[in-house]
Amino acid sequence: MIPATQTLAAVALPLAHLGHWLWVFYVIPVLIVIGGIIRSTRAEKKREREEDEGNPP
Amino acid sequence: MNLPFTLPSAHALVARQDLPIPAWLFAWAASIVLIVSFFALSAAWRRPIFEEQHWRSIGRDDAVRAFTGSVAQAVYGAIGVALLAVAIYAGLHGTEAPDRNFALTFLFVTCWLGFPFLSAIFGDLFRPFNPWRALGRAAGVALSAAGVPHPRKLAYPERLGRWPAAIGLLAVVWLEVVYGASGGIAVGLDPHSCAVAACVYSVYTLAMMALFGVEKWCQTGEIFSVYFGMFSQLGLFGARDGRLGRRRPLAAATSWAAIPGSAAVVIASIASTSFDGSQEGAFKGAIEKVVGWVGDLGLGPTASLRLSNTIFMVLCFAGVALVYELGVRGMQSVPGAPSRERLRTAFAHTLIPIALAYLIAHYFSLFVFQEQAQFTYLLSDPLGTGHTDLFGTAEVGIDFAVLSSQTIWYVQVAALVAGHVLGLTLAHDRALSIWSDPRRATRSQYWMLAVMVAFTCFGLYLLSAGNG
Repeated sequence: MIPATQTLAAVALPLAHLGHWLWVFYVIPVLIVIGGIIRSTRAEKKREREEDEGNPP
Repeated sequence: MNLPFTLPSAHALVARQDLPIPAWLFAWAASIVLIVSFFALSAAWRRPIFEEQHWRSIGRDDAVRAFTGSVAQAVYGAIGVALLAVAIYAGLHGTEAPDRNFALTFLFVTCWLGFPFLSAIFGDLFRPFNPWRALGRAAGVALSAAGVPHPRKLAYPERLGRWPAAIGLLAVVWLEVVYGASGGIAVGLDPHSCAVAACVYSVYTLAMMALFGVEKWCQTGEIFSVYFGMFSQLGLFGARDGRLGRRRPLAAATSWAAIPGSAAVVIASIASTSFDGSQEGAFKGAIEKVVGWVGDLGLGPTASLRLSNTIFMVLCFAGVALVYELGVRGMQSVPGAPSRERLRTAFAHTLIPIALAYLIAHYFSLFVFQEQAQFTYLLSDPLGTGHTDLFGTAEVGIDFAVLSSQTIWYVQVAALVAGHVLGLTLAHDRALSIWSDPRRATRSQYWMLAVMVAFTCFGLYLLSAGNG
């Protein structure tokens, strides 16, 4: 059992370095956009393939 | 129980800026603005409009010529030469205190920041005041008047393009932020070094103008003409055949990057601003580590710091270039895309508004504060001797209260968002001229959207880390 006086230090010390990881929050939108691009590019390629298969030359 | 959640802010951003929401949420909001803008452009912008400048002459020819004719050009050039001479004299003979000497604030704040800001609105204002162009042209006139035949000019290697300007741009920033590591002063370079550098650059520029021709060197190799000229492509006014005219804003940028090395200039601009912004913020810890490693190799503390900063500056350039290259490779994957080389050139101009946005975001507050110094005590006492008071303003100081930290932050965010939306718009417009199918043009721009979101988030991260 951690004494009440130590609880604050135990919680606060690791969090005090949270600032060093804030860059992660700035990367998330970029990753979301890249994920969206990959997904929509695949979907469009699939649709184009299906259109080509549906309309053979 | 609030305390544990307020303590982490000691290392974070919110406490110092006192923002209503965490700074990273601004990056998310900015990303959403870009994504919404992207879809709005895709839906509503179906044909390219920036490929034509729609240039038209303004005013009566004789009235405009009074401001643009050869006499006026000579006067502007003489003003430019005189101001350069004052800056060099102040650097050589004035105080060694960088913040009290006219030279540093005039060259690195008033000119280095002022010309891009003004040129982006009004067009190329530096060209008439360019002291080296004025001297080169005056030398040509003097030779003609003396009846001496002009020496034959060398053919400029076209493949070299604007690379000398790109490398020179990095060198200027290196001189300011690496060689003259600021130590908390607006511009930390010592005035004497600055004046010597200006003299060396003047000799180099005049020699290159003698070899390749004044206008050719201004177009390709003269750092300041190329750099300020790049921002002027966004502006409202432009000259054609000696006549002043109005044009569609942003439209001149579409043909700017046709010269090789132009992409390197705009990338160098973004990278050097990023490095300057991160040197004391986001990259500080990493730079200190590298300084330690380099110091272990036996270099002295100053050399270690300069070498480490140089490494990070080069890494910034490589990083920005890599993000752009990824965007180009992504566009190339869309059917109907031209060669990678052509794409690289075709979309380089879309980075100009971003370079401007980075410049405003990082230096807008410095510009506002230092210009107060420029037009008060530096103007009255340019040498910083403490004994001169030419205009009675030598005792006036900088009012730092004119901008609150929140105002600065909101201007920074607004500049970054606006710059990236404009970049996205230019990219979409160019894509429509390359891909005749709007659907494919939109698909190609997914990748530029990723580039813009990446630059926005990176810029906001650098600012928040720097401010925090």
